[in-house]
Amino acid sequence: MISLIRSEIYKISKQSKTLYAIAAILIIEGFVMMSAYYQGAGIIDLLLDNLKDSFEFRGNLLNGNLIIYLILNSLWFHIPLILMIIISGFLTSEYKDKTIETVMLQPVSKLYFILSKYIVSIAFTLLIVLILAVSTFFISYWIFGYGDLVVYLDGLNFFKSDDAFYRLINAFLSGSITMVFFSVVSLTLAVILKDATKTWIVAAIFLICSNLLLKMDFNNDIINELFFSKLTDSWQYFFYYEIPYSTIYFKNLLLLGYSFLVMIIGILIFKRRDIQ
Amino acid sequence: MKRLYFLVVLLASLNLINGQEIDNDLVLIKQRMDSIKSYEAQIKLDIDISFINMPSKYGKVQYKQGESTKVSSEDFIMLPKRGLDLTLNEIFEHPFITVDRGEVNHKGVACKVINLIPTSSKSDFSIATIFMDTKAKRIVKSEISTKMEGVFTTSLDYKNYVDVLPMTIEVQFAVNNVKIPLRFLGKESEVDRKAIRQEGSKSGKIFLTLSEVQIVR
Repeated sequence: MISLIRSEIYKISKQSKTLYAIAAILIIEGFVMMSAYYQGAGIIDLLLDNLKDSFEFRGNLLNGNLIIYLILNSLWFHIPLILMIIISGFLTSEYKDKTIETVMLQPVSKLYFILSKYIVSIAFTLLIVLILAVSTFFISYWIFGYGDLVVYLDGLNFFKSDDAFYRLINAFLSGSITMVFFSVVSLTLAVILKDATKTWIVAAIFLICSNLLLKMDFNNDIINELFFSKLTDSWQYFFYYEIPYSTIYFKNLLLLGYSFLVMIIGILIFKRRDIQ
Repeated sequence: MKRLYFLVVLLASLNLINGQEIDNDLVLIKQRMDSIKSYEAQIKLDIDISFINMPSKYGKVQYKQGESTKVSSEDFIMLPKRGLDLTLNEIFEHPFITVDRGEVNHKGVACKVINLIPTSSKSDFSIATIFMDTKAKRIVKSEISTKMEGVFTTSLDYKNYVDVLPMTIEVQFAVNNVKIPLRFLGKESEVDRKAIRQEGSKSGKIFLTLSEVQIVR
């Protein structure tokens, strides 16, 4: 099992798509920062426009914490999309290059083979989120400095710099669970579909539908609380003025459960299917 | 003869209006405030607006005669556009007349109430109502209707009977809810745009607490 995991890590480290994933993340960061640099003041100006009649403002809201928050919002779509494309490729490329047949000719358990894929995919996802978080914090604070964070979530919430840092760190940690869910789903889709293009399309549709369903009210408390798409926003809850920790723990634990379930489904399908 | 009498009365009344003086008690209070060359104090700001959540902010307020009041802080702070003019310099910047409105009891203190009506178009307020504690020679409440920024009601509470500067200042004003750029939304599903549109303007308050006040006369 360990040798299989090592083998998977070696493959990923040698594949150019890993570099593409990191490059894509840095490009997204760069775009958000450039946009914030040139338009950030205008956004804040618009946000606080109605308050200008009554207030004078002292201090800078266009700071590193705001930039990190804006980049963090790429967890809604950009980052999971990149992860789903790259991670599904871990398996579809094996089907395409027929290396999977070579591997299966060896005395390798199908269970351990696919399990190692899932484990490495999860590790890769966490690594990407870590790279995103570290680079975002480092570059944002370096260029834009520290300061209070303003977020619109059930009102205009202002957080002091140290409080904002705590919330952003925890949001990245919580967001990584959401990213793991999408990664596991994409690998399972790869198990089912085998073909890279089909998997990418279905993964993208899954992500889009998931985002749409998140906003949809099902008029049913159980579905609204337990349906998978309603659990992918736990990281945003760190920006409510009073952090609802119990909701965050509940959502994250349930999403981990969903991830585990999807992984089991993927493993069972892979085990039962012949490798051709 | 009747025409001459009417003319004399008319001229006398016009003279009375043109020569209307500023209320003596207000002048005394202004003179008392002018005795302050400078002051410094630590300031705590608390905001009470339904759609804004902000922790208490701390800063430093500094005033030097001839200059406007300055507030500095390491944090982002929101200051009311009115309420920090404790020395009445902004009100006295342009000429005005006062009209005595009698006496009113405010928080157990008998206060003289006057209206300030600007006589210059340069003045940024259209009318102001001032509640004066004439015995303690200080202002305890003011309602200033500005031309551009709405009405600001300021209540001032003092630590004791002799202090010239207040310990707490409460500024009340009307404020409109914020506009939300789409890209800035944290969790779009939670925003009830219809409700926001219907809310219109709301009353907001800001509380300023002064401490470690150092006055140079």
